[in-house]
Amino acid sequence: MWSQVKQELAQSTARFLARFIGLLPGIAALILALLASIILAWILATIVRRLLASMHFDQRLARWGFPSLAEWSPLQSPTLLVAQAIASLVIVAGILIGVAAVAPEWTSLLVQSVFAYIPNVVGAVLVLIFGSIVARFLSRSVLIGAVNLNLRYARLLSIGVRWLVVVLAVAMALEHLRIAPGIVDLAFGILFGGIVFALALAVGLGSKDLVTKSLERDAQKGSDEHIGEPFRHV
Amino acid sequence: MQAEPIPQQVEQKIELVESADLVVGVLAEFNPESLATLCEALRTLSGVARIAVLRDDHSANPALDPARSNSETYEECGSTFLVPWPLLRPETPDTPMLSMSAAYQSVFAASEKLGARACCVIASRLETQAPDWVRQLAQPLLEDDIDLVVPRYARHKFEGLLNSSIIAPLIRCLYGRRIHNPLGPDLGVSRRLFQKMVGNDRSARIVGEHPIASLAPAALCENLQVCEVCVGARIYPPTDWMNISSLLSQILSPIFLDMERNAACWQRMRASLPVPAIGDPVRVTEDAGTVDISRMVESFRLANRDLEEIWGLVLPPSTLVELRKLSRLSLEQFHMPDELWVRIVFDFALAHRLRTMNRDHLLKSMTPLYLAWVASYAHDLEAAGASALEQRLERLSLAYESGKPYLVSRWRWPDRFNP
Repeated sequence: MWSQVKQELAQSTARFLARFIGLLPGIAALILALLASIILAWILATIVRRLLASMHFDQRLARWGFPSLAEWSPLQSPTLLVAQAIASLVIVAGILIGVAAVAPEWTSLLVQSVFAYIPNVVGAVLVLIFGSIVARFLSRSVLIGAVNLNLRYARLLSIGVRWLVVVLAVAMALEHLRIAPGIVDLAFGILFGGIVFALALAVGLGSKDLVTKSLERDAQKGSDEHIGEPFRHV
Repeated sequence: MQAEPIPQQVEQKIELVESADLVVGVLAEFNPESLATLCEALRTLSGVARIAVLRDDHSANPALDPARSNSETYEECGSTFLVPWPLLRPETPDTPMLSMSAAYQSVFAASEKLGARACCVIASRLETQAPDWVRQLAQPLLEDDIDLVVPRYARHKFEGLLNSSIIAPLIRCLYGRRIHNPLGPDLGVSRRLFQKMVGNDRSARIVGEHPIASLAPAALCENLQVCEVCVGARIYPPTDWMNISSLLSQILSPIFLDMERNAACWQRMRASLPVPAIGDPVRVTEDAGTVDISRMVESFRLANRDLEEIWGLVLPPSTLVELRKLSRLSLEQFHMPDELWVRIVFDFALAHRLRTMNRDHLLKSMTPLYLAWVASYAHDLEAAGASALEQRLERLSLAYESGKPYLVSRWRWPDRFNP
C-alpha cells in the first residue's frame, strides 16, 4: 500500500512539474511582454510629453476653453495626463499579450469582456469631461452674475451650481458603467435633492435684497439710469 | 450672424428713389416737427441735388405721427426724399449693440445702392440740436473730402463714462489720434469708407460685424481723413442695456476684436496727434455736489473677495496685490491710480485675444473693476468744473499712452512677459 501511495505521489509530482514546466515559457513570455510594454510605454510617454510640451499644449488647451481638464490632471498638467494615459494603454496591451501567451482561452474571454465594456468606459469618461466643462461654465456664470448683482452669497450659489452639475454627471457616468445602478439612483436622488434644498434655503433666507433689486430693475426698465445715479455709462 | 443689409420689403422703395448724393439714417425717435427741421437744415447744404432720409419706422412716435409710421412709399420734401425704413428691429432678440450695428450696415448698403457720395447716421434724439448736427456732419464730407466726421459732444462729467474711461483713451493710444467720441454714435461717412464696410467679398472688408466700433480704427489704419465737429450736449435715447455688465460686454467685445484685427497697424503707432476740429468745444455748466460712491466701492470689495480666482487668470500678481490694497482703503481714501486701471484694461484686452476664458464671462467680470474706476473718478471730480474735467481725462489718456509699451510687450510675448 505504501508503494502505491509513493507511486501516486510520484505521478502527481510529475504531472505538476510537467504542467509547471509547460507554463514556464508562457510566464516568461508574460514577464517579457510586460517589461517590453513598460519600456515602450515609457519611450512613448516621453516622446508624447516632449512633443506636447513643445506645442505648449497646456496653454493651448486652456485657450481653447478646456481649462477644467488641468484640474483632473496630475500636477495640473494635461500634457502629463495624455502621456500617462498613452503609457497605461500600452501597458494594458502588453498584459493582454502576455496573458495570451500563458493561456489563449483566458485571453479571448478577457478580451471579449474588456472590449464589450470599453464603450461604457468611454461614454462615462466623455460624460464626466462634458459635465466638468458645463459645471465650470455654469458656476462661473452664476458667480459673475451674482457678484455683479452685489449678492453676498455669490460664491455659495456658484459652488452649489457646480456641485449640482458634477453630481449629475457622476451619477450618469456610474449609470453608464453599470455600477450598482439602484444605489446610484437612490444616492443621486438624495444628494441632488439635498443640494437643491440647501440652495433653496440659502437663497430663501437671504433673498430679500435680491427681490428688492429685481423689483427696482423692473420698475426702471427702459432706461439705463438704474446703473447708478447720476452716472451715465454710454 | 450677419443681418441682411437691405430688407427685401424696402428694396423697392430704394428703387423708387433711384439715386441720392447724401443718405441720412435717422435711428432715434422723431416727430414731424423735428423731421421738418431736419429737412430745413439739409436744404442749406450746397452742392447736393438729392438727399434720401431713411427714417426708422420703429422710431416714429405713433402718438405724434400715426400716418408716417405705416407709410408704404417715400415722401418728398423739396429735394429730400423721406423713406420709411426698418433700421432698428425691436422684435428681434438682438442686443442693442447688434441692433445698432445692423442699422448702420443697412444705411451703408442703401447709400451704396443709391450711389451716394456720403452718408450720415443720427442716433441722438432729434428734438435737440441734432437736425443741425446732420448739416455739420455732412458738410466736411461733401466739401472737404473728409472720410469720417465724428462729433465732439459737450461733456458732462458723469456722462459717457465708458467712452471717457476706456474707449476714447484706448483708441487714442492705439491709433495715435485724439478722437473724443470715436463711436459716435452720430457719424458722417464718406463713400470711400462706407464702400469698405459693405464690400461683397467678406475677406476684403476691413471691419467685422460691428461697424460702429470699427469705423474710426478702420479709417485711421487706412490713413483716411478724419475730423471732429464740435456740437452741443447729446440727449440720449432710452436704451435697455439690461445691466452694466451686459453693456460692458456688448461694447468692449467689438473694440477688443478690432484691436486683434488691427494689431499690426496699432503696434506701429507712437505718440498721438489731435484731429482737425470744426467749431469750438461747447462747455456745459455742471452742478457741484456730492455723489454716492459707496455702492460701487462695495461692489468692488465684494468682487475682490469672490472673483479673485477669475481675475487671477487675467491679471498679473502685481495687479492683484494692488487691487487687494485698494479694497482695504476707506471710502474717503478710495482712489484707483490711472496706471493701474490702464494695465487692467490692457490685460483684459489681451485675455480677450487669448481666450483665457469665455469672452462674455471675461468682460462681465470686469464690471466691478470698472465701477471702482468710476468711484475713484467721481471722488476726484465731485466738486470740479469743466476745466478740471478736461485735465482729469487728459491725465488718463496720457496714462494710456505711457502704458502702451506694456501692452505691446504683453501682446507680443503673452507667456514670457508677465510681471
